[in-house]
Amino acid sequence: MTKALKINKNTDQGVQEFLKVLLENNKVKGVFTLKKISKDGSIAYSLITDPDQLNDAVPFYPLMPVNAGKLLSRFTLKGSTKKPIVAFLKPCELRGFVELIKREQGSLENIFIISSTCGGVYPIKMSLNGALDKNLSKYWDTVKKGEISPDLRPACKACTEFIPYTADITFDLIGNPELDKQCVLFLNTKKGEELAKDIKGELLEKKIDSKKLDNICNKRETEKKKIFGELETKMKGMDGLIEIFGKCIGCHGCSKVCPICYCKLCGFENSDFEYKPSNYEADFRKRGGIRVPPGTLFYHLGRLDHISISCVGCGSCEDVCPVDIPISIIFKKIGESVQKMFEYIPGKNVEEEIPLITFKEEEFAEVEE
Amino acid sequence: MEKKIGVYICECGPNIADKVIIDKAIDAISPLKDVVVVEKFKLLCSADGKKFLEEQIKKQGLTHLVVAACSPKEHEKTFMEVCENAGMNPYLFQLANIREQCAWITEDKDEATKKAIRLIRAAIGRVRYHSSLEKKEIESNPDVLIIGGGIAGIEASIQLASPKRKVYLVEKTSSLGGLITNFEKNFQGMKLASNIIKEKIQEINTNENIKVFTDSEVEEAIGFFGNFEVKIKKTTEENETAEFNVGAIVLATGSTLFNPNKVPQYGYGKFENVLTSLEFEKMNLSGKISLKNGTTPRSVAIINCVGRDEKGYCSEICCMYSLKFAWYLKEKIPGIEVTNFYSDLCIPNKTDQKFYEQTKDNNVEFIRSSDFEIKKDGDQLKINYIDEKLGKDSRLVDMVILAPALEPTIDASKVAEITGVSQDDKGFFAEEHEKINPVSTSIEGIYIVGCAKGPKNISDTLVQSEAAAGKILSSLIPGKKIEPEVKTSHISESFCIGCKTCLTVCSYGAITFDEDKKVSVVNEVICRGCGNCVAACPSGAASIKHFKFKQIYQEVMEAVK
Amino acid sequence: MNEFKGAVIPAKSGVKKTIIDLLEKALDKGIFDAVILPMEVPAGDSFVYVLIKDKSLLKDAFLLPPVMFVQGAKAVSSVTRLGEGNLKIAAIMRPCEIRAVIELAKLGQTNIENMTLISIDCPGVLPTSDFLNDPKKSMQLFDDDAKNLDDKIMRPVCRICDKSSMVSGDLHIGTLGAKKDTFFIISNTEKGEDVVDKLGINLKDKIDSWKAKVKNISEEKQKKRKKSHIDLKSKTGGLDNFLDTFSQCINCHNCMRVCPVCSCRLCYFDSDKVKHPAEDYLSRAERKGSIRFLPDTALFQMGRMMHMTISCVSCGCCEDACPVSIPVAQIFSMIADETQALFDYVSGRSVDEPIPLVTYKEKELHEMEDAND
Repeated sequence: MTKALKINKNTDQGVQEFLKVLLENNKVKGVFTLKKISKDGSIAYSLITDPDQLNDAVPFYPLMPVNAGKLLSRFTLKGSTKKPIVAFLKPCELRGFVELIKREQGSLENIFIISSTCGGVYPIKMSLNGALDKNLSKYWDTVKKGEISPDLRPACKACTEFIPYTADITFDLIGNPELDKQCVLFLNTKKGEELAKDIKGELLEKKIDSKKLDNICNKRETEKKKIFGELETKMKGMDGLIEIFGKCIGCHGCSKVCPICYCKLCGFENSDFEYKPSNYEADFRKRGGIRVPPGTLFYHLGRLDHISISCVGCGSCEDVCPVDIPISIIFKKIGESVQKMFEYIPGKNVEEEIPLITFKEEEFAEVEE
Repeated sequence: MEKKIGVYICECGPNIADKVIIDKAIDAISPLKDVVVVEKFKLLCSADGKKFLEEQIKKQGLTHLVVAACSPKEHEKTFMEVCENAGMNPYLFQLANIREQCAWITEDKDEATKKAIRLIRAAIGRVRYHSSLEKKEIESNPDVLIIGGGIAGIEASIQLASPKRKVYLVEKTSSLGGLITNFEKNFQGMKLASNIIKEKIQEINTNENIKVFTDSEVEEAIGFFGNFEVKIKKTTEENETAEFNVGAIVLATGSTLFNPNKVPQYGYGKFENVLTSLEFEKMNLSGKISLKNGTTPRSVAIINCVGRDEKGYCSEICCMYSLKFAWYLKEKIPGIEVTNFYSDLCIPNKTDQKFYEQTKDNNVEFIRSSDFEIKKDGDQLKINYIDEKLGKDSRLVDMVILAPALEPTIDASKVAEITGVSQDDKGFFAEEHEKINPVSTSIEGIYIVGCAKGPKNISDTLVQSEAAAGKILSSLIPGKKIEPEVKTSHISESFCIGCKTCLTVCSYGAITFDEDKKVSVVNEVICRGCGNCVAACPSGAASIKHFKFKQIYQEVMEAVK
Repeated sequence: MNEFKGAVIPAKSGVKKTIIDLLEKALDKGIFDAVILPMEVPAGDSFVYVLIKDKSLLKDAFLLPPVMFVQGAKAVSSVTRLGEGNLKIAAIMRPCEIRAVIELAKLGQTNIENMTLISIDCPGVLPTSDFLNDPKKSMQLFDDDAKNLDDKIMRPVCRICDKSSMVSGDLHIGTLGAKKDTFFIISNTEKGEDVVDKLGINLKDKIDSWKAKVKNISEEKQKKRKKSHIDLKSKTGGLDNFLDTFSQCINCHNCMRVCPVCSCRLCYFDSDKVKHPAEDYLSRAERKGSIRFLPDTALFQMGRMMHMTISCVSCGCCEDACPVSIPVAQIFSMIADETQALFDYVSGRSVDEPIPLVTYKEKELHEMEDAND
């Protein structure tokens, strides 16, 4: 049984009023969430301090222009915030933030985290000029039914981690047919309870409907198998890799939007990585020619090596890829295999150390001689 | 590390206290993060004030100091010294100007107080990010580079060289002496020129403190007074270079003659037996004055002011050496007719008038004239001119000697670029001030002497050489210490992409390019901390000490909050 | 136009094949040691540049592909930035790519001493996403439209490009105005002449028909360009319009990364300089009631504009890389025209023409000063 708060308003209204009370009562100095920022309907994350501007806040909009975990990391990179703020994150964004905190790239201090069970987001290409607005009712219908919207990011369709682990408050959205009339918030922590104190609503002790959630998870699992399966047939062996990554233009956009990629200057971009004439001569001897700029595949394999242990499967990478490489599925698939090896779920627990830096004496004995 | 910032507000007598409500400021500043003490004092720059600050730094265990008082121009140095005396690095200090920029510009006390608080907050915001910087001290180099081995450079070398001071004398031709080596005699006193110059050259060659480079040019001279890094290369041999350091540079590159080909009406280059003065000097020195066909001339015209209109200035020496030429001719060719065509006579020195009159008495005709045109007339040359008194006239002569204007040498511009010395609109090196500072330039440590800075005779040249030597002898004392700039630029090797934009905008030549690493590198001794490179670098790979982005950003953010 | 020298080359087996044959001959004779040419990838959904030393690979080369996935100058830079060893390399690329190579040479990012730069008349390129939708169909469309000089399927900046036949490298391949089954080889430099000479080609033919056709097309494009810019200015000019245009921007910096001119190791806008403490962001938010997070999107766009438009070659790779379809190339290209015109500068026109930023002229832009005189 968990403490929960039931607000008898439709979700959009409920959450806005909730946030307004928080700001007006000075419980927090700022609200970090999605907001409509221009007259043509562009949506971006914003830090809101004026309660009136909350009118444009859309915390549950099915869009992820940037992984918010990466943004919170930037917010707290130069030190934790001294003034309290509340941040709305989707489960993968929260997990991304936690993985970054493990690497000293941010701090949770004075930040209240609100999340929700997540119905997925649309690719950013679909959101241009407010085009998503017409999809909204269809989207929420599918969420209420616990089904998968067909046009979502592939990474979202295949996502089985749609329940946040470490939020202070979780909005129960998926599979909830009553979203138009009420919203239920699970108060997971003391911080969450503190935050909800001033909000008008029914305090309950509620049991989490694990049956409903398992049901939804199964659907997602099926979808995942399908999507992963499709990839597996394409990506067999070296030839498969070359086929998939052949059109990569080396823009490194995937790395720049990835919450886990946090290096100031990527190893593949520093001077040590530059090909010198001697390198080319070696390739000439072997193959008579070399694609230029070189290192297309190496970059991806290297990045997989560095971040797959923490990949949260958010799918931001695929949104920015200019040549439509199914990069989020590749990383998600390989990420999950690597994580399975260590029984590690990235972002689940901030105290759980990253396997890379943990030494266990008895480990992988099966790969030894 | 824990920061302890001490903030001290100066009343400055009535200057600040009358306008800024200091107690209000103290109230506003005290609660700020890292601020451990905020106090006011009557006059911080006084002996008592400085003592107070020093004690405070030690007593409070301050890590950073902010003083709100007058302009940094007035007392930044003062308070930095206080820091040093108290054992604190002087760069962990920031001065907020609440006098000139606040109390002195408004009558409104409220506004003044509000602004003072902002300025102090800004100073605190900045000082938080200050780093300790160490002063550098290098011993100034007493040696001197002299560019140009004519009489000007030679004289300066002789005056300067000593066991404690090496002189490097660089000459582009294969021998020392310059123009004078072409003269048989000098016009002042008609003494034998060769004697003078030979003696001086002998002195140079036997002086072990003077190193002579002939057939050489200066490639690079980068640095500042007390520390110039010089590169010389031999013009005749590739790859033969020399590098050394000096503390001062003297430019003595002399001058050359205006090319009379540019004024074709004088017939130079068109007709035989039309010579420049230098050509005539050489002919005279060789021992025989003759026409092209080998015969002896019986009539010679000397025409002055050739190119004077075109250049726009008088070359000072031509009238006098024309008199000398008249004497050469009269002495060596009895009965020769010599006519001197002039537009104005320039005979300034105390003995020159007498010389002129003696020359006139020696049957030399002086005609004030203009509008020359020289044509060939059989074996002779016909000079058409306008006589000031008689109008249009003409004269037949065997030989014409032209006295062209003196102009800067061809490589003057190159030397100017290498050293950073300015040229005036005539191309001569520009002095700091014509009357007050005639041998210095706008660059401390670089001096200009002789014809390189304008036409002049030998004795004036010697005066200037000695003057420049005197300046160097008194200011560049062996053992003297200089402090190069502390707040220098630095270029991150990891982030520099090698586009060389910084190099192109550095006015001091302080940036070089490492061809192996393909990155730009700052010479911290020569860097003057002007910040051009930082502004020009598109990626921010270049940054400057004490003016780091973070420091300025925080200062601004606090000021506008 | 320069005093170009030209030769008419018979191409019975097709223009592209003939050029490849000439390159093979050049490799054989040691005129070049290697060439940079496009090739199709095994999956058939892209074209990439390859540095070819072994001439047997030449048969797979694909000249003038329908897309520009990677700006050719980036390929050249990756090979020559640290010096190209002792290799003599030739590259055949579109005029904007050659221009970018030359511009980058001035920035120390390419080394063209041992390079022979060969441009070719360009009909434009397809937008990347259009091509990816149906590569095979796109190929066909491209070939058809190139033949008919129809450009409506090309990148928006290609449609108004008046420099699609600009010659600034060593040699140029002229297909416009050429008789059937022939093309022109045009030489612009001594190096180019030397190469052509060694190939046994005499540069003695008239290229007037090429010149005329190029002039014709360029003038038409200029008219279109002017009109397009007026239209674009009205839509995006002024702070409000500018902010609206870029409101969708997610700061992914793809545009910067695919741009050949943007070559900083670590962009200013990715560096520590734009990373501030939480308090600073909060106080900015407090001043306005809210700020977009991360803020300063417009600052990045304007900053990049300020840094690179003096060298912009209007290739359009930035716009193709933008995940939210902002008309970046059109805007930057328009501003580049104005910036370069201020200094009578055309980026990539000549390697001897220094970039205005680092050239000091005492009397310059006086019209910007206060009207005191």
